[in-house]
Amino acid sequence: MQERRMKKQHCRGKSREPNLACVLVAAVSILFTANASAYNVYVSNEKDNTISIIDGDTLEVVDTVTVGERPRGIVLSNDGSVLYMCTSDEDHVEVLDLKTLKVTHSLPSGPDPELMQLNPEGTKLYIANEDDNLVTVVNVDERTKEVEIPVGIEPEGIGVSPDGKWLVNTSETTNMAHFINTDTLKIEANVVVDTRPRVAQFTGDGKEVWVSSEIGGTVSIIDTDSKEIKHKISFEVRGLAPESIQPVGIKLSTDGSNLAYIALGPAARVAVINMETYEVEKYLLVGQRVWNLEFSPSQDRLFTTNGVSGDVSVIDLKKRRVIKSVKVGRFPWGLAISE
Amino acid sequence: MNLKHARSCFKGILIRESLRFLNQRARFFAALVRPLVWLFIFAAGFRSVLGVSIIPPYQTYVLYEEYITPGLLGMIMLFNGMQSSLSMVYDREMGSMRLLLVSPLPRWFLLLCKLLSGVAVALLQVYVFLLIAWFWEVRPPVSGYFMVIPALILSGLMLGALGLMLSSFVTQLENFAGVMNFVIFPMFFASSALYPLWRVRDSSELLYWVANLNPFTHAVEFVRFALYSEINWQAGLITLLCTLFFSAVAIWGYDPLRGFLPRKGGPAT
Amino acid sequence: MSNDDTDASLSARNINFSFGCKAVLEDVQIAVPNGQFVALLGQNGAGKTTLFSIITGLYAAHGGEIRIGGHDLRMNTEAALASIGVVFQRATLDRDLTVKQNLRYFCHLHGIATSELQKRIDAALASYGLSDLQQRKVTELSGGQQRRIELARATLHDPNFLLLDEPTVGLDHANRMEFVSNVKTLCKERNVGVLWATHLMDEVEDADYVYFLHHGKILFEGGSADLLKEHGKKSIAELYSHLTGQPADATVI
Repeated sequence: MQERRMKKQHCRGKSREPNLACVLVAAVSILFTANASAYNVYVSNEKDNTISIIDGDTLEVVDTVTVGERPRGIVLSNDGSVLYMCTSDEDHVEVLDLKTLKVTHSLPSGPDPELMQLNPEGTKLYIANEDDNLVTVVNVDERTKEVEIPVGIEPEGIGVSPDGKWLVNTSETTNMAHFINTDTLKIEANVVVDTRPRVAQFTGDGKEVWVSSEIGGTVSIIDTDSKEIKHKISFEVRGLAPESIQPVGIKLSTDGSNLAYIALGPAARVAVINMETYEVEKYLLVGQRVWNLEFSPSQDRLFTTNGVSGDVSVIDLKKRRVIKSVKVGRFPWGLAISE
Repeated sequence: MNLKHARSCFKGILIRESLRFLNQRARFFAALVRPLVWLFIFAAGFRSVLGVSIIPPYQTYVLYEEYITPGLLGMIMLFNGMQSSLSMVYDREMGSMRLLLVSPLPRWFLLLCKLLSGVAVALLQVYVFLLIAWFWEVRPPVSGYFMVIPALILSGLMLGALGLMLSSFVTQLENFAGVMNFVIFPMFFASSALYPLWRVRDSSELLYWVANLNPFTHAVEFVRFALYSEINWQAGLITLLCTLFFSAVAIWGYDPLRGFLPRKGGPAT
Repeated sequence: MSNDDTDASLSARNINFSFGCKAVLEDVQIAVPNGQFVALLGQNGAGKTTLFSIITGLYAAHGGEIRIGGHDLRMNTEAALASIGVVFQRATLDRDLTVKQNLRYFCHLHGIATSELQKRIDAALASYGLSDLQQRKVTELSGGQQRRIELARATLHDPNFLLLDEPTVGLDHANRMEFVSNVKTLCKERNVGVLWATHLMDEVEDADYVYFLHHGKILFEGGSADLLKEHGKKSIAELYSHLTGQPADATVI
């Protein structure tokens, strides 16, 4: 955008009259900026064994790629060239080349990988192995398993601090958030949270970790330094039974808006939370069993996977309105968005 | 009929209806409370009912409040249309209806003016309702607030003409309670105002067909799409055809050759 | 203006009307010359209201011809209706509105130009001494005032035929007589033909011409003076009882 404006001004500076070159440059820069702002949304469909690709501008599915069985957590490489996919029933992580849309190779992951995160450098994947009570560290370049860290029962969520020093893993059955030092790969603290913790997310400044508890119906906010819970958010939706409110996916804004978004599963709502007061400001209606969330690159939109209704809802974050729900495959689960 | 006279006549009727409307604030609030009760109480109770399927014109899941809002606009038009056209005949307005009908203008034009001013009053109610609904987080796009006007006018005319038609033929509908029971309630409930047709079909195929044959369903759908800046041509066309049909029959029904107000046993002589 | 019947305020010929098989009017003929006060007498149920509904185009007669101010009601409905002023049996003023709003509404219906309308309203009200009621709501007025306002309204568009359907029902004697005298003045001063339907005989004692409508037929008609002389009666009421064999409604006070 900025580039386009600069070029236009540059043209005007030369001459008041529009000339062909100027128009051409403008046209090209419009095309260029249009391309630059375009982004793709990748959605893993757990039951269909596919990845749906949604165009971020038209909000339509432009492609569907068949991959390994039961794809769940998906992560883009730092350069955006490949997509790492936890194909849970294949017991490995598959790597999808986003140019050719072909699975080029797979990475060892340990059995039943579900969620994973890259370290900030983009060289290592931290993978939760639900069935084996392990977190596996995989070197993506050498395609090797570096180490396996034993954790609580049924590990699920993985969060990496922005500085890469901390890895937080949640274990569903032990009801804990394990703080793992990424240098020593040892658990340094276990924080007990409410029943069945799912997703763990660090704030942009790394000072807090937000952990959602699906059955407990809460989100715990843990202070990274003291490893203590400093606040617990609970939810209440008019007309819905409390047990149907099951927080899962978490996205914390880093654009200065200081807002957090929590997917509430069967409640079919996304909660908008003020990160200073921890108050819920609004509930937005999305599809059934909303699971994971992802921001658009400029954080003006939020995408949600709605497992039961089989679609992706698009939220306009400025207007705080759900603007569209896009049909994808059966049981959409993971989300990743290219810049 | 010259144009100047026609305009003057319409102006006069419109002013009269507006003045009466302003003078009868109780009536206005009653008319407003009805849809609001549905919005605040009924819809709140059924909040979680919807959201399983997305149907046009909606782009995403909507709360029940949002779904029934166009239906409630239809309800305002329905009550208003029935009330104004039946009051033309049965209420104490009967005297003033005679006054109107002996005016030196074609009868169809007088009836049309009357219907249109009834619709104008209903439009006022609709916008007050939409304003309140806005605070209740029912917020269609801004353009929808404008696009819905023609849809509301046409629907209002259709329902008003239907009321006129009924009043000219069904002499048993002597009070409003009868109209509520036999016209307003069936039309409102057997339509897409409260439930989408696919949902109606899930429970009863018969009801689904009845709702499809119900002109009110099409009026509501026409209004629903317009409120989201879309045009449902099919619903619009059906509404238009019904309007023309009801109007033609109503005008025929009020043809002096057939007599004005044919009632049981004839008029007081 | 010619004296030809067709140019009279009203000329109705061979009017027949029935509801289903029940004949309500049979071969009724009525003429109201300009400037004459004509009475239509008949008990309740004689067919007066039906006849008036036909004259005002609310019903169409089954056969016959009606001309108002020379305009054929069927062929030239709008011109014919423009020539009639009507005071209905039932009140037709909007009770929630002021007198002025009511009258302006009527002017609009009759296409009276906006520039002229207030002048006409002022003049009409002034002529009945009702000027100070303009801003009042109809509900605040007495029955007699309401009736006279309806009369004033019926003349706003300068009709040359005035139709009054039991206009004094519900009024006390004094109010009735005042109303009657207002109408008679109108009749003479503006050369308006008046057809006055009533069952109250005292109102029409000095009518120019009288029709007796009985069971849908014109039983007798004639100049009132002639009829009284012919039958040797002193009042229209007596005459009515004599002709129909029924007691005339008492002049209820």
